[in-house]
Amino acid sequence: MTRISRIVGATILSVTVAIVGATDHAPAQAKTELTVALSSFSAETLDPALQGHNVKYYLSLIFDYLVGVTPEGQLTPAGGLASKWEPSADHKRWTFHLRKGVKFHTGEEMTSEDVKFSLQRAMSKRSTTGYAGPLRTLIQDIETPAPDRVVIVLKQPTLIIPTYLSRSLSTEGMVLPKKYIEANGDDVFARKPVGTGPYKFVEQVTGSHIKLTAVDNHWRLGVPKYKNVTFRLISEETTRIAMLRRGEIDVADVSRERVKELEREGFPVHFRKDEAVLQLWFVLGPDGWVAPTKDKRVREALNLAIDRKEIAQAIFAGRAEPAAVPFGLTWSWAHVGFKATPDMAYPYDPARAKKLLADAGVGSGFPLDVYAFQLPGLPEGKAFAEAVAGYWEKIGVKPKLIPVDYPAFRKLWVDRKAPGAVGYYNIANRDWIGTYALLEKMAYTPSKLNATVNDPEIDGMIAQVMDQTDQAKINALMRNIFTRLRSEHYGVPVVYIHAAYATSKTLGKYSPGAVMYDLFIDTLASGKP
Amino acid sequence: MIRFVVVRLLQSLVALAILTIVVFILARATGDPLHMILPMSATEEDYANARAYLGLDKPYVHQYLSFVGKAVTGDFGNSIRARKPVVELLQERLPNSLKLALFAMIVSLGLAFPLGVMAAVKKDTAIDRIAQIVAVLGQSLPTFWVAIILVEVVAGRLQWLPAGGITGFSSYVLPGFTLGWFVVAGMMRLLRSGMLEVLDSEYVKLARVKGVVEHRVIWLHALKNALIPVVTFAGIYFAILVTTAIVVETVFAWPGLGRLAYDGITSRDFPVIQAVVLTTAAIVAAVNLCVDCLYAFIDPRIRYAR
Repeated sequence: MTRISRIVGATILSVTVAIVGATDHAPAQAKTELTVALSSFSAETLDPALQGHNVKYYLSLIFDYLVGVTPEGQLTPAGGLASKWEPSADHKRWTFHLRKGVKFHTGEEMTSEDVKFSLQRAMSKRSTTGYAGPLRTLIQDIETPAPDRVVIVLKQPTLIIPTYLSRSLSTEGMVLPKKYIEANGDDVFARKPVGTGPYKFVEQVTGSHIKLTAVDNHWRLGVPKYKNVTFRLISEETTRIAMLRRGEIDVADVSRERVKELEREGFPVHFRKDEAVLQLWFVLGPDGWVAPTKDKRVREALNLAIDRKEIAQAIFAGRAEPAAVPFGLTWSWAHVGFKATPDMAYPYDPARAKKLLADAGVGSGFPLDVYAFQLPGLPEGKAFAEAVAGYWEKIGVKPKLIPVDYPAFRKLWVDRKAPGAVGYYNIANRDWIGTYALLEKMAYTPSKLNATVNDPEIDGMIAQVMDQTDQAKINALMRNIFTRLRSEHYGVPVVYIHAAYATSKTLGKYSPGAVMYDLFIDTLASGKP
Repeated sequence: MIRFVVVRLLQSLVALAILTIVVFILARATGDPLHMILPMSATEEDYANARAYLGLDKPYVHQYLSFVGKAVTGDFGNSIRARKPVVELLQERLPNSLKLALFAMIVSLGLAFPLGVMAAVKKDTAIDRIAQIVAVLGQSLPTFWVAIILVEVVAGRLQWLPAGGITGFSSYVLPGFTLGWFVVAGMMRLLRSGMLEVLDSEYVKLARVKGVVEHRVIWLHALKNALIPVVTFAGIYFAILVTTAIVVETVFAWPGLGRLAYDGITSRDFPVIQAVVLTTAAIVAAVNLCVDCLYAFIDPRIRYAR
C-alpha cells in the first residue's frame, strides 16, 4: 500500500510540476508590439474585393484609400492617396491627383494605373464588396492621363464619387498593386496581400490571428510607433478580458455590461458613440405592406408601447440612448443638416398606444411574429427581443418570439416569406452616402430585395438624390426623407448603442473614431505628433 | 478476418455516402450564405454575380454531384467565407485539434489511472469517495462553465496561465484540463469497476496465494486485464475530443476543427460544413472500424457473429 501511495503521490506531483512548470506569466508587452483582440473577424479574407465593410478593421492598415477621412468621418486630402480631387463643371468627370513617391510593400511605385486597376477590380462581377453594383451603374470609364492623375468618367452627374472611394464607406477605394496581382494572380494576392498602407502583411492563421509588421516610413504615419500589430480573434469575452488583465492584448472590444467592472480596475474604456441604431422593422409581403402594420396608427402604437429609456438602462447598461427616427443614422445628420427635434422622440405611452390600436380596429390585439437572434456587436439581441415583446404584450398585441439565427431570418425577410413579422438589426452608423445607399435598399420600393418600406413619396425623393449635383438640394431631400420616415413610423427605432473598447493601462490616448467598421488603429501607431 | 474487415469497411463507406446527402441538404435548409457575406446594401445584381461566381446558381443535383465528385479526390472546394480551399483550412485546424485532444488524453489518463486504481483498491474509503466526487463533477459540470471559470480565475485573476490562443506549451493546460476532466470521470469509473472485477477473480487470488507482492498483483496482473475496456473507451473518446471540442475551442480561442465547424455553420459556409462533417465522420468511422477489428482480433467469436 505504501508503494501505491508513493506511485499516486508521484503521479499527482508530476502532474502538478508539469502544470506549474508550464506556468509562464506573459512577459510585459514590449512597446513595439500592439495586439488587438476582436470578437469577430467577419470573413477573414485579405482581398478587399471579396468582402465589404466589416473587414476594414485590419485591412485599413495594409491598404491606403484613394480618398482619406478623418477619424470623425470627414473627407480629407491628408488621409488618402489622392492629395486633391475636383469635378468637371457638369460633374461627370472627376479628376483625382495622386501623391508621388508612394510605394507598395513590394517597392513598386503606386501610379494611376494601379488606381484604375483597383477600381475595375472592385466593380468586377467577382467582387462582393456591396457597393460594386452602384459603382458599375455610375462609372463609364476610367482614364489615366498621367501617372499621378486619374479621371473617373461617369454615366450621370453625381457628387458622391469621392465618398464612395473613401475610407468612410467600404473597401472599393483601397488601392491595390496592379503588377503584383497580374504577375501572381488573385489567389496569391489574397494570401499575401500587398498595399501601400503603414503595415505589411506577415501571416494569417484563420480562426486565430493576422500579423502585420510596420513599413520603415509611411507617407501618412511616418515611422510607425509599433513594429508589429497583431489582430487576434477571441470570440469569448471572458477570455478577451482575462488577456487584457494579463497584458497579452492592448485593445479589445467589450460588452457594455462589463464596462463598469473594467473601469473600476483602472482599464480605460473608449466608446464609439452611436455606433449603431437598433431598429425593428416590418417584413413586407410579396405585394408590400400587410395588415395590420400597414396601418400607420398600428405602427405608431408599436412605437409608443416601448419604454426606450428603460431598455437603454436595463439591457444596455446605460450605454445607449433612445432613438426616434427610423434609419436615423446620426453620423449622416451632421452632413445633411438634420436634427431630431424633441417632439420627434417617442414617449412611453401605453395608454395612447392602446387607443391607437382600438382606432385601427385591432383593439383586441393581433398576433405578431417577433424573430429573436443575436448579432455581432449585439450580445443583448435576444434579451432585447424579449423586452420588446413584453412591452407589446402590455398593449394587447400577442407577440410570438421565434428564436432563430440571423441568416435564417434574413432569408425569410428578403424572400418575403414572413409577411408582417418583425426583425431587427444593429444598423452600423455611417455617413450620408452610406445612409443613402442603405435607404436605397431598405426604404426604396424598386430595390425589392431588402425593402422594408413602401412609400411612393420616399421612393421619389430617393430617386432624386442620385441625380442631384447640388449638395444643398441633396441635403434637403435627405432631411425630408428622415422626416417622412419618422412621421409615418416606418419602423421601430429603439436605441442608439455605444460600442465599448477597453485598452491596456499603458496604451495612452485612443479614439476609435466615428467611421463605419473602422477602429482607426493606425492613429495609435502614428509616429507623427 | 479479412471478410469481416471488408464488410465493416463497406458499412462505413455506405454510412459516409448517406451522410453526404444529409449534410448537403441540411446545410442548405436554413439560410443563404450570401446573406452573410454581402452587406445589406447589396443589389440583386450583386447577389446574382456572387451566386454565379460561387457556383451556387447551379441546380442542387449538379452542386451535390460536383461536391461528391471532388470530395472523393480530397477537394472540398473553396470556403465561401474565407475564400480559401477548404482542405487548406482543414490542414491548418486539424493538427491543432489533434494536439489539444492528445494533451487532454494525457491529462485524463494521468488522473484517471491512479484515481481509478486507488478507488478500486481502497474501495469504500475516503479515497474512493473522493474519486467518485471527481467523477461526478467531471461529468456533470458543463464544459463551458468549467472553461469560463478557469479563464476567469486561473488566467484572468491569478494570471498563472494564458487565457487563450496557442502561444506555447502553457496554453495547452487550461483547455486540455477542461476537455480531459470530462473524460477522466468516465475512464476512472470504468477502470474502477474493471479493477474490482479483476481483483476478485481466481487468478488474482492465486497470485496472492503464491506470494506475489501486492503492488505487482495490482499494477501488473490486475490492471493489465482491466485495461481492455478503458483502451477502447479512450480510443473512441479521442476521436470525440478531436471532433467535438467546439465549446472549449471557442472559449480558449483555439483554432481547431470545432471552431471551424462553428464558424462554418454560423456563416452558412456550405463547403466548410460539408468538409468538417465528413472529416469528423471519417475519423469516427475509422476509429470505430479499428475498435471493431481490435475486438474481432481479441475475441474471434465476434468475427463469426452475424
